[in-house]
Amino acid sequence: MPMILDHRLDHIYAAIADPTRRAIIDLLVRGETTVGELAGRFPMSFNGVSKHVKVLERAGLLTRRVSGREHWVALRPAPLADAAHWLDHYRAFWGTRLAALEQMLIDEDAAKPRPRARRTVRRK
Amino acid sequence: MTLPDSSAPTLVVRRTIPFPRERVFDAWLDPKRLAQFMRPASGRQAIVEVDPKAGGKFRIAMLHPKSPPDGTVHTGEYLLIERPSRLVFTWISPSTEQRATTVTVDFIERPGGTEIVLTHVALPPKQIEGHRAGWTEILGLLERLTL
Repeated sequence: MPMILDHRLDHIYAAIADPTRRAIIDLLVRGETTVGELAGRFPMSFNGVSKHVKVLERAGLLTRRVSGREHWVALRPAPLADAAHWLDHYRAFWGTRLAALEQMLIDEDAAKPRPRARRTVRRK
Repeated sequence: MTLPDSSAPTLVVRRTIPFPRERVFDAWLDPKRLAQFMRPASGRQAIVEVDPKAGGKFRIAMLHPKSPPDGTVHTGEYLLIERPSRLVFTWISPSTEQRATTVTVDFIERPGGTEIVLTHVALPPKQIEGHRAGWTEILGLLERLTL
């Protein structure tokens, strides 16, 4: 089972909770880009965007490389992919358990002795 | 305790079954019945201990051929027991790397039966935050990545 529940998770959850950062991730899905290019897409200062990028970087969700003056950032989906695997595992686990619960109750009812049909006895 | 959308990995599984709520609810706190439906598909049996009160603990050992002699052990603590509508407990297992996660089971009365809605959040109860989900969107993005 992948390591998704380690101490970095607090950073990841905080990173994902912000809508601007989710929008940045959305943009990065399409491919690598520069921080400058990202900043141009949001109605906030370059520093504002840069701070969001740093939060994502600290959460391990993006990587940065510097080329001359430009900072190229790319999505690092591994932590998210790990979370997706965890979800798949437990979705299957609980789905199976709930089906087993239903079957167990069905079997319990089936095992109950059937009430006998009443016979009317006529007495003279 | 309401369980808001979370920014942590969260899954919801639903199933409607043709039994009354009380009976479905009680199965979760009855060690014999819990052992029955928690038994792994490939396994021989589950051994269950339950202390069915708020703050009480449970332990489920699932035995199967590949697991260590004592089986795969799942433990947790009951946070809320509201018969017959809601059950909340922590869930700790090797698959959660022995960290506490939070499971909420809601039992909703439906015509002819009960809808079970199980929500599992990959965080301990105190860390579940009240802001809007990010995970559904993020996982949607992931799908685009892998296409």
